[in-house]
Amino acid sequence: MSTKKTHYPEIPRKNLGPGWWLANRHYTVYMIRELTSFFVTAFSLIYIYQVYRLASNPGTYSQYLDTVRSPAMISFSIVALGFTLFHSVTWFYLIGKIQPIKIGRKKTSPLLALGINTVFLVIISFAVLQLFIVGK
Amino acid sequence: METDTATIRVARYRPEKSEKPYFQEYKVPYRKDTVVLDALNQVKAEQDGTLAYRWSCRMGVCGSCGANVNGVPKLTCATFLHEFKGKSLTIEPLANFPVIKDLVVNIDDFMEKLLKVKPWIIRDKQSPPEEGEYKQSGKELDRYAQFSSCINCLLCYAACPIYGLNEDFLGPAATALAYRYIADSRDQGKKARFPIVHDLEGVWECTLIGECSVVCPKGVDPMLAIQKTKILGAMEAPKTMLSPETLKAILPRGGE
Repeated sequence: MSTKKTHYPEIPRKNLGPGWWLANRHYTVYMIRELTSFFVTAFSLIYIYQVYRLASNPGTYSQYLDTVRSPAMISFSIVALGFTLFHSVTWFYLIGKIQPIKIGRKKTSPLLALGINTVFLVIISFAVLQLFIVGK
Repeated sequence: METDTATIRVARYRPEKSEKPYFQEYKVPYRKDTVVLDALNQVKAEQDGTLAYRWSCRMGVCGSCGANVNGVPKLTCATFLHEFKGKSLTIEPLANFPVIKDLVVNIDDFMEKLLKVKPWIIRDKQSPPEEGEYKQSGKELDRYAQFSSCINCLLCYAACPIYGLNEDFLGPAATALAYRYIADSRDQGKKARFPIVHDLEGVWECTLIGECSVVCPKGVDPMLAIQKTKILGAMEAPKTMLSPETLKAILPRGGE
């Protein structure tokens, strides 16, 4: 009797396609979180440019302010603010997952880290607003 | 107990009969305590003996019965049929692995990675048994205890898009086990494991999607192990960069 074994081919591993992040809600939230980095960067660059204009030529600064106050820029700023808040909240939550706050030997929920960081965000934002807008 | 009937759709691949995979439907009776693995066993015993799948303990310990249930990696012994009442139920092999037959996947890639991270205690010098055991406090145990619960079921690999995109990625379970030993106070194998976990295809490939920790049936958090390994590596980097060995290798040698 022959003992020779037949080896059949396997189905090769399927590499994920470009739309993999739509397969599940968690993947989609992750992708949105990554996408928010674009808005955070864009807003930061605009802000740095604003400071640069003010420092280099205060005369043309009012001209720059007119550009910033255009409906297109205001719309962009609102969208960027929304994405920046989403970015902050999701990362605050992740901080709680990676470095959970410990009370004794017990780890707390990441929601606690999210809450504490959000409170700090509100306090710092309020202080900045007081300093630059209200205190002007 | 009340009995109901469910229709399950099972992915089949029988290379001896057909080159192409296909789906086959089976009607199975179920009660409130019937799990997906029971349904597969019922099919195998009473309807179709050709169905192939892995299982062993039937109690969430051996880690061999993993499959994608409605697209989500799950242990079939811990997934109840009644949870899908009124919904369709599709059972497929774990994603991101080659399929040998029906629900049986080839896990050679993981086995190689597992060996690479040296999942055992490494000592610079073994002390003789008469010197007694290596002692450890409860606090030291806490640092790695959860990661030692990994049962190598590979649900985390099936859920990880990074592994899905790049087969060379070391992946969640292998890193969790590497960290389990790196964080063990009795272990002295950091030097042996760091080049593997901090390799280009190691922990730095992970972009914090976190689905590995969501699907883990044992409450292990591989995402946490990966990030902790990143932190340890980042802390070690200046020491490595300024070590006499590195400086000797990169600095110009006078007169040579």
